[in-house]
Amino acid sequence: MPRMPKRIKFRKQQRGKMRGNATRGNYVSYGEYGLQALETHWVSARQIEAGRIAAQHFLRRQGKVFIRIFPDKPISKKPLETRMGKGKADTDFWAARVKPGTMLYEIAGVPEDIAKQALARIAHKMPVRCRFVGRRIAV
Amino acid sequence: MSHETPTLEAAVRERTGSRYAQRLRKLGQLPAIVYGHGQDPVAVSVDETALVRHLLQGAHVMNLKIKGAAQTCLVKDLQFGYLGDNVIHADFTRVNLDEEVTVNVHLRYSGTPAEAEKPGAVLTHEMTELEVICKVNAIPEEIRVDQSDMETVLTVADIILPPGVRAVADPDTAIAHITYVQEDASGEEAEVEAEGAQPEVITEAKDDGDESKESSD
Repeated sequence: MPRMPKRIKFRKQQRGKMRGNATRGNYVSYGEYGLQALETHWVSARQIEAGRIAAQHFLRRQGKVFIRIFPDKPISKKPLETRMGKGKADTDFWAARVKPGTMLYEIAGVPEDIAKQALARIAHKMPVRCRFVGRRIAV
Repeated sequence: MSHETPTLEAAVRERTGSRYAQRLRKLGQLPAIVYGHGQDPVAVSVDETALVRHLLQGAHVMNLKIKGAAQTCLVKDLQFGYLGDNVIHADFTRVNLDEEVTVNVHLRYSGTPAEAEKPGAVLTHEMTELEVICKVNAIPEEIRVDQSDMETVLTVADIILPPGVRAVADPDTAIAHITYVQEDASGEEAEVEAEGAQPEVITEAKDDGDESKESSD
C-alpha cells in the first residue's frame, strides 16, 4: 500500500525547489547499513513501496528494513487531452523530497553481504543514484 | 584505556574561517578546536589520517602537542561532510586523567542467541553505542556484549561493564531484542484498495464547521 499522510492542512502544494544537500536524515541511525541518495529528486510513494517489496522478497523474513523517507508532498497533474487553465489539477501522486545525502532505507539484523544485495535491489527501483553505507564513527 | 594514549601534533591556526579551513583540508589537515578547563579556546589543525585512524581504533583521549606542550584532550564532537564519510572538524576538550567524563563507547556484540535461529526471528540492536560515565584513564575502547544467552530482550543491566565504568541509561533500557516477522500480506489487493484513499484535509473540515455555524445563526 503506497504511503501518504493521514491528515493534511492543504490539498495542493506549489512545486518548490530543492537546493543544496541533505542536512538532516543523512546518516545511518536505526539499522546497521543504509542506502544513501547521491542526487536530488522526488521519490514517489510507488517507488518507495517498490523498493520495500524488492528488499522484503529478497530478505525473506530475515532482517528488518527501515524506510527513512516519507511521501508528504502532493504532486498534481492535469489529465491527458485537457486544455490549459481551469485551475490547478488534482493530486496525481505523493512524493518525498530527496536531496544528496538523504538516507533512503536502512537494514538491520543481516550480514553485510546480504544487506548489500538487498539494498542494491532497492537501488534499482529508485530514480536517483544511490550508494551503500555503514554507520559512521561515533565519539 | 588498554593501550597508550596516542599523541598528535597540533598546529595553531592563525587564520580561522571556512576559506582557510578548506585550504587546510586540501593539505590533509583537519581543522579542530581545543577548549575547556577555564582556558581560552585554541583553533588548531591536526593530521586527518592519523586522527581518523585513532578514532577507528576506539581512541577517545589524545595528547595534543600544541606549541611543544602536550595537553590531554577528549574528543568531544566530530563534524562530517554531507555524505557522512569524511570528518571535516573535530572538537577537543581539555581533561585531567583522573576526572570523570561522559562518553559514548561502541558496543561489540558477539554470539548468536538460540532464539534468533528460529525462522522469522529478527535480532535487532537498539543501541550500537552506550553512554557511560568513567574516569578519563578508564575509558574502554569498546564494550563487549555476549548475546548468546539472551532470550528475547537484552537490557543495559545485562552488560558486564569494566570496573569503574557505569552506564548513564536506565538499567531496564533495551539494547537488543528479537522480533518475529510475519509473512507480508500486502499484495496487489491492498494496493487497489488504497488507490481511492485520500488524506483528510484539516482546513476544509474547519471551513465546513464555520459555515454550519453561520447558517445556524
